[in-house]
Amino acid sequence: MNNKPKRRILPHVILMAYVLSVLYPLWFVVVSSMKNNTEMFNDPWGLPPSWNLTNYASVLSNSLVIRNFMNSMFIGLIATVTTILLSTAIAYALTRMKFKSLNRIVYGLLLLSLLIPPASLLIPLYTMIQELGLYNTYFALIIPYAAFGIPLTVFVVSAFLKSIPLELEEAGVMDGLTTYGILLRVIIPLTMPTLVTVFILNFINNWNEYIMASLFLSSQELRTMPVAVVAFADKFNMNYGALTASIAISIFPVILMYSFFQKSIIEGVTAGSVKG
Amino acid sequence: MSKIYKNYTAYFIFVVPALLLYITFYLIPLFNSLRYSFTDWNGINDPVYTGFGNFAKALADEKFWVAFKNNAYFVGFSVFIQVPLIIFISIIVSGVKRFLGFYKLTVFLPSILSTASVSIIWKFIYAPEAGLLNQVLRTIGLDSWVKIWLGDEAYAIFAVLVTNGWQWTGFYIVLILAAIFAISKEVLEAGEIDGATGWTKARLLTIPLIRPVIGVTLLLSVTGAMKALDIVLIMTKGGPFGSTELMATYMYKQAYSMNDFGYANAIAIVITLFTALVTLGLQFFNNRSKEDAY
Repeated sequence: MNNKPKRRILPHVILMAYVLSVLYPLWFVVVSSMKNNTEMFNDPWGLPPSWNLTNYASVLSNSLVIRNFMNSMFIGLIATVTTILLSTAIAYALTRMKFKSLNRIVYGLLLLSLLIPPASLLIPLYTMIQELGLYNTYFALIIPYAAFGIPLTVFVVSAFLKSIPLELEEAGVMDGLTTYGILLRVIIPLTMPTLVTVFILNFINNWNEYIMASLFLSSQELRTMPVAVVAFADKFNMNYGALTASIAISIFPVILMYSFFQKSIIEGVTAGSVKG
Repeated sequence: MSKIYKNYTAYFIFVVPALLLYITFYLIPLFNSLRYSFTDWNGINDPVYTGFGNFAKALADEKFWVAFKNNAYFVGFSVFIQVPLIIFISIIVSGVKRFLGFYKLTVFLPSILSTASVSIIWKFIYAPEAGLLNQVLRTIGLDSWVKIWLGDEAYAIFAVLVTNGWQWTGFYIVLILAAIFAISKEVLEAGEIDGATGWTKARLLTIPLIRPVIGVTLLLSVTGAMKALDIVLIMTKGGPFGSTELMATYMYKQAYSMNDFGYANAIAIVITLFTALVTLGLQFFNNRSKEDAY
């Protein structure tokens, strides 16, 4: 009985220390972004003397950050929508349609992706993007992003489709729906929650992607956020205020999405990786 | 029903676009990479066939071995430090009732941030003067521990490993937590009646029951370690003096700084082969342990 309160507190002490190590660096970034260099060196720990947003103002006005932000949005959304449309269609065909051996071959081909690390495809992809005339266009990212999202999305959507009973579709057939009608009227509405989850996952992946974005685009106007942040870090090497402000701007949308969709993000990421 | 689902046109429309995109951006690059890996190619002129020349070059290339060793560090750090820590923390989290949601939420957070942002944040933490780490050390009086973390050959790779750990540990904790909560209550209660509590329970009941997910965690963290690229590129560019070079960053440099696309593709093939071998090996091991469990 004696050690009971102790046993209740110890886990929380360990976990709080861990949580602190996760949150404090982020907090430090936000606090630093509201200080100038002198304040940062004199009082690194304290709160900023005032809610000073000049660093944000200078980042937003002196650079293409808003443009970069919109690029990331645009590229991320188009690529994600493409992935979802194509993957849902193929998952529907693979789980429902009666082409047994073909289905098995296609699924097997998709499974191969698990053995191929995307980083190792970087150089041939770069060559290909140039040969296709896509270099330094939005499509240089949209098409590869859409393609790289396909395998995992197919696995997650297929797993869900296998779990829903055929009766609803049979009823759809009775009502005179065609193959396409069943997909649009029965399957997609039923799969909506899963589709939302894979949408968020793919979008976050695309939003965060750095290496292809830095290689396949050269002009500053087309840059996405991660590339812009890294360029910023190189440029404002010593201007910590502007640097931390740009970091805060780049992670803000993801944290906002996370606070709204935390449950489906966590479920989706974990389900995806276990099934994959 | 069978007529509806034996529609050739529909099948074609559903399967071909996704498959085409997948093949174009996964399988064709892999095939091209393999083709170029047997050539001497500067990216502009016509490639010249050199057989296994590039692979022989890698074997004799000291810098490649440094990169290989660093990848091995990455893998070793994941398997022997990160994964045990992940299991330990997951078991602690699974035992608490208060703040459970809060812990899950915060711990998971770094894994949804971009590696670019995480790398910059940590570069800032490791900064020699204003950096958080050195400031902490100075404040608590450990001035002799103050280092130029990313500029010191002895510490740079570990600084990168810690950053990578910070980003991904929480992700795996949530993964394992889901498996722990999926264990049936009856099994755990039966164990408790038999006297298994605390760490005995964890060792004899929980860990064996979540072995498949531990396998997945190992698989994901090892393959993650094999393909690590942007974190090093942003934090250290492989320096100081090549001490943090990874196979993927070395490949990147061979292509874009040295214009040796043949050699770079050969390194890409080595990375793919290793990843595939490790994946298949661990998968085999997982399947065996799954059979053992029943």
